[in-house]
Amino acid sequence: MAQRLKEVDVVVIGVGMVGSIVAKELAAAGYKVVGLERGQTRFTVPEFQSPAVHDELRFDIRKALMQDNTREPVTFRNQGAQVALPVRRWESFLPGTGLGGSMVHWNGQTYRFQATDFQLATQTRERYGKNFLDPDVTIQDWGVTYDDLEPHYDRFEYLLGTSGKAGNIKGRIQAGGDPHESPRSRDYPTPPQKEHFQGAMFRKAAGSLGYHPFPQPSSNLSQPYTNPEGVKLNACVFCGFCERYACEHYAKSVPQTVILPVLLANPNFELRTGCQVQRINLDSTKKHATGVTYIDAVGRVFEQPASLVITSTFAINNIRMLLLSGIGKPYDPATGHGVVGRNYAYQTMSTVASFFDEDVIVNPFMASGASGTLVNDFAGDNFDHSGLGFIGGAYIGAVNTNGRPIQYHPVPPGTPAWGKGWKQAVVKHYNHTVMFSCHGSSVSQRQNYCDLDPTYRDAWGQPVLRITFDFPPNDIKMAAYVTAKAVEIGKAMGAKQVVGSPRKGPYTVTQYQTTHNTGGTVMGDDPKTSVVNRYLQSWDVPNVFVIGASNYPQNATWNPTGTLGALTYWAIDALKNKYLKSPGRLVSA
Amino acid sequence: MNAPAPPFARFAFSFLLIAALPCALAASATPAGAATPAAKPAAKPAAATPAASAAAAAPPCEACHGAHGEGMAAAHVPRISGQSADYLKKQLDDYAAGTRDNPIMANFAKALSEQQRAKFAARYAAMSARYIPQVKPPIAVHLARGHQLAFQGDEAKRVQACNACHGPDGVGVPHAAPYLAGQSAEFLASALKAFKDGTRKNDAGELMRSVAERLDDADIAAVTGYFASVDLSTH
Repeated sequence: MAQRLKEVDVVVIGVGMVGSIVAKELAAAGYKVVGLERGQTRFTVPEFQSPAVHDELRFDIRKALMQDNTREPVTFRNQGAQVALPVRRWESFLPGTGLGGSMVHWNGQTYRFQATDFQLATQTRERYGKNFLDPDVTIQDWGVTYDDLEPHYDRFEYLLGTSGKAGNIKGRIQAGGDPHESPRSRDYPTPPQKEHFQGAMFRKAAGSLGYHPFPQPSSNLSQPYTNPEGVKLNACVFCGFCERYACEHYAKSVPQTVILPVLLANPNFELRTGCQVQRINLDSTKKHATGVTYIDAVGRVFEQPASLVITSTFAINNIRMLLLSGIGKPYDPATGHGVVGRNYAYQTMSTVASFFDEDVIVNPFMASGASGTLVNDFAGDNFDHSGLGFIGGAYIGAVNTNGRPIQYHPVPPGTPAWGKGWKQAVVKHYNHTVMFSCHGSSVSQRQNYCDLDPTYRDAWGQPVLRITFDFPPNDIKMAAYVTAKAVEIGKAMGAKQVVGSPRKGPYTVTQYQTTHNTGGTVMGDDPKTSVVNRYLQSWDVPNVFVIGASNYPQNATWNPTGTLGALTYWAIDALKNKYLKSPGRLVSA
Repeated sequence: MNAPAPPFARFAFSFLLIAALPCALAASATPAGAATPAAKPAAKPAAATPAASAAAAAPPCEACHGAHGEGMAAAHVPRISGQSADYLKKQLDDYAAGTRDNPIMANFAKALSEQQRAKFAARYAAMSARYIPQVKPPIAVHLARGHQLAFQGDEAKRVQACNACHGPDGVGVPHAAPYLAGQSAEFLASALKAFKDGTRKNDAGELMRSVAERLDDADIAAVTGYFASVDLSTH
């Protein structure tokens, strides 16, 4: 029997980046906010300190910071005709858990999407014609524009202290930045990080081919920075342990280093950790949420009543929360009807390895998660796709983040997979290889979706999420095209051997690619094709807001966090200035 | 927590000025980069004479830093024995360039050629002086606080563990960060205060200034007392 707790104004499910920011803003506006976090409380001191935090076996191989998939797995299959099986070892993508969420183990790569990304369907139709795309592709416009989000991108970057170089300030192209970016109102809060040697080699070669290299925007900071919340961060020391690790130096922008100190000091906010939310409760009309039911770490069941529920969990968990709660119609790929779980997308990642002789020493371990150099010349819609048969693109960059000993050993094709020959090749190539990433967009497609698994349940007895996904042909074509361009850059660097590995299907969950899962609770202007409106408010239950990369109708070229931060502030603006003043639908259906 | 400089410190400084300045002048008279005979081990670790060439022997350093680089704790003169050559060279370069401020060391460093600075750095990096216990070891509660800052840091002050950069128990990370273990507490405290005041600013990325500005006098006394108590020979 659930114990009913005292009603609060707002319940936030998941105290990661989004949850921390939303809770901070609403608590500061005077509302009583409870944050429910399934994982543990953790801070830079003592949890993230070295030498423990530099344990590659524990964090990289055994994924210590990730969602506990012995208790709460997802199941996976490529096609609807297959039987999905539980993922018991995270490999392809790495959803985090615990206070601060997945952002604690991010790389700090802080991009904006471009204006055309938010009107992708319109843009594609207008530029390439109605029948350009495979009819199975289900891309759509976002319902917001870049101009709507610009002030919120700015606010998020200034919260994080992002280190970068503007390429376009109010329409004026800035030397050294990305000339393809949509106009920003001002430069980044801090200058770019120091360029590593691989980045310098890339910049020279890409520039010689007429491309436009620029420094990766990094939320591992180039210098000390005090953000508008009054929280101070330190400069990054380039230890090469960002992604999959927490930062010991207060140098990576994560909730603990940018906002939690302010949130936790506010008596209007209460953090409860070890709380596994089972569902959002609805009243008998099914159009109004009454709060949430959760189970704490010792198995007690609580009902937390609230006037407003915000689910801000990792993208795929947002989808599951709505499905478990019966909010919104589940998507059915057979009919194309329904919305929850629809338009699940990912990121299309390819790599290029350029092998040099031993006189070229790259020291790959001297890096941060975002200290690379890249070009956007083949990203998004920055090049003409006429006759190419695909949309989207990838940024190409020397954006290698580390040279850690267990995981990082580039070797050329033909190297034995183990034994003496492999060891000799690792020794030979470790310090003389430049790695590029082609970080590519992902279109949504009719057959790719998420629903509740009919067989497997979590440790609390609830159905787990089932992911059905394979790479759309559009993205395989895109990866082949852009990877060939990246190989040309490798050759222009003068490498002895350049090996491109364009992404090919089928998609596998047993190989790391990226943790950029998107879609499933997408935003939009039409309740038939979106779960939430342009303010991230549920069409069906107006006192539920869903905030996450699950809102993206398809995934753009770039890492999703910057856009998620912008959407978070955009939604907060609507909450504070519209919804909370007069609760109800912000957009009529 | 923070004792005023003992009279000995003043004595040490005046001694140093008298003994060292002529040597510095002699060194500056030597053309930079001029060929010098191979360094001979100093027969006697005595004060330098004007005749001694800076590159020929170590006496100008020895006068304060000791024959084996053990330093002069009470006079805030650091132990440099076994310190990373890269670190020592960078400090000499910074004194010479004026980015680390200390009138005495600046005089010496400016008088040395770059080659000579590298040579002195390498010489002291290769030494291994015995550990010198503190005259007045810290009391247990201060040691405990110092140990906490060294190994764990302090979330409330947003200070990470010293060992995160300075190595396990402050043994140092060659090229990157100097050792703190066995260092003079007085020297460490004056270095932290210089970072805190902003009078020392030769730390990459303001890394030490960012930390020092968040430590109060009690923390500085505790953490420097702790590191001074670490005898690496027993590790």
